[in-house]
Amino acid sequence: MNKKVNNFNVTGLILPLIILLAWHLSVQSGMFPPAILPPIGDVAMAFLNMMESGLLVGDILVSLTRVLRGYLLAIFAGVTLGTLMGTSKHINDFFTLTLNSIRQIPILAWIPLIILWLGIGEESKVAVIFLAAFFPILINTISGMLSTPKGLVEVAALYKLSGWMTFRKVYFPSALPQIFVGLKLGLGISWVAVVAAELIAASSGIGFRISDARSMMEPDVMIVGMISIGVLGVSMDKALTLILDRITPWEK
Amino acid sequence: MRGLAIKDLNKIFSTNCGDVTALKDINLDIKKGEFVTILGHSGCGKSTLLKIIAGLESASSGSIAYGETKISGPGTDRGMVFQEHRLLPWLTIDENVGFGLINESKTVREKLITDHLKMVKLEGFHKAYPHQLSGGMAQRAAIARGLVNNPEILLLDEPFGALDALTRIQMQKEILKIWESEKTTMIMVTHDIDEAIYLGQRIVVMSAGPGKIRSVINGDSYESKDRGSLEFARIKKQILGYFFEEENINPEYMI
Repeated sequence: MNKKVNNFNVTGLILPLIILLAWHLSVQSGMFPPAILPPIGDVAMAFLNMMESGLLVGDILVSLTRVLRGYLLAIFAGVTLGTLMGTSKHINDFFTLTLNSIRQIPILAWIPLIILWLGIGEESKVAVIFLAAFFPILINTISGMLSTPKGLVEVAALYKLSGWMTFRKVYFPSALPQIFVGLKLGLGISWVAVVAAELIAASSGIGFRISDARSMMEPDVMIVGMISIGVLGVSMDKALTLILDRITPWEK
Repeated sequence: MRGLAIKDLNKIFSTNCGDVTALKDINLDIKKGEFVTILGHSGCGKSTLLKIIAGLESASSGSIAYGETKISGPGTDRGMVFQEHRLLPWLTIDENVGFGLINESKTVREKLITDHLKMVKLEGFHKAYPHQLSGGMAQRAAIARGLVNNPEILLLDEPFGALDALTRIQMQKEILKIWESEKTTMIMVTHDIDEAIYLGQRIVVMSAGPGKIRSVINGDSYESKDRGSLEFARIKKQILGYFFEEENINPEYMI
């Protein structure tokens, strides 16, 4: 397991370097004015300024808190309901039509109504993130539970394990990798949702900073905000991978 | 002492193409400590019969009892080994073997696990995961799991069917040794005629559609355990006769 962590994939760094190089060259050649595409140095300066003033860390903390609150709620609700739906046909039949219909509504279409109901405070952002992350977690949990091998459930029946023990020893570990697929998808969508919510109605957070920078004509600040989201998202995704590796030592 | 008694047992499955009779009028008594093999085509209901004995399926009619008690569900007096090892991939080998020992104290558990891993020659693999074992080793761990809570009957559902021929013969020898030392009643379902003769004191031959007992052959003589003996060949010929009746009438004149 430790090998995997140390064995960093260098090939993956080639493309970002090419993009940086292309960026640098196109600015150098004068193809784009700095107001459209700022030089890399300007972005780096903007980054340092925002770090120094504490603005970037503040924005990240605000957005991260929103993401974590909505995402953790979505994990709790999605895994719980997904487990019930994946292990009981009755519960599944009861919810499937309704949830499938709601799932078709794009998250952006929810935002006006959520703002109407919950205002433009923290609650509305958390609600948007919750709604966005809930469905991928729910669906993957259900499918993980449903794909539990029947033969193993039979073994549990053979040893007269209780319903709860059968869940703990058979269904849950069997569904775990699939649940994590849902957790990763949900996390990615959480960032989409927080930025969307902050772009529309907020006075803080990374999404707000990007939108604010647009009205101030500061493309360097926009890019710093975007890169921060990318780096944060990748780090959290990586963290989930490490957690999964840690708790599923039987998977090679 | 009374063993397993199956009386007038029928099993009917309702499918969307109507009812299918899987087992019809099964009558079979199995003595305590006996090794019985059940032989038949795939789909003759032999695995269903085994599952009914295990308590995983219920009979449509008829009765099945062990000693004085009717069988109505799974119980620790019966262990089972399947064709696939069915070890839980997320548990180590010792956790898998101890899967049915939830109610035992830790020390008793550990002793039973160690003893049974030794019995199936898997010492040193306590902390391995199932995917790290070969097919034969995984099946041995499954046998250890089946025997660990000291059941009176061990049900074996084509346990060596997925193993290569040499490993299979090795495992047959080992299961015989375990049977001799543990005195567990063994009921094994198989479609391998040699295996059925080699292992079974009695061989129950089943026919398909609906699943019925065709004949019960005595295979308990010393010679019938020697694959090269005349007796072995005679029993094999007799069994083949049941399965390929039509072709047996006058094979010489067919051409």
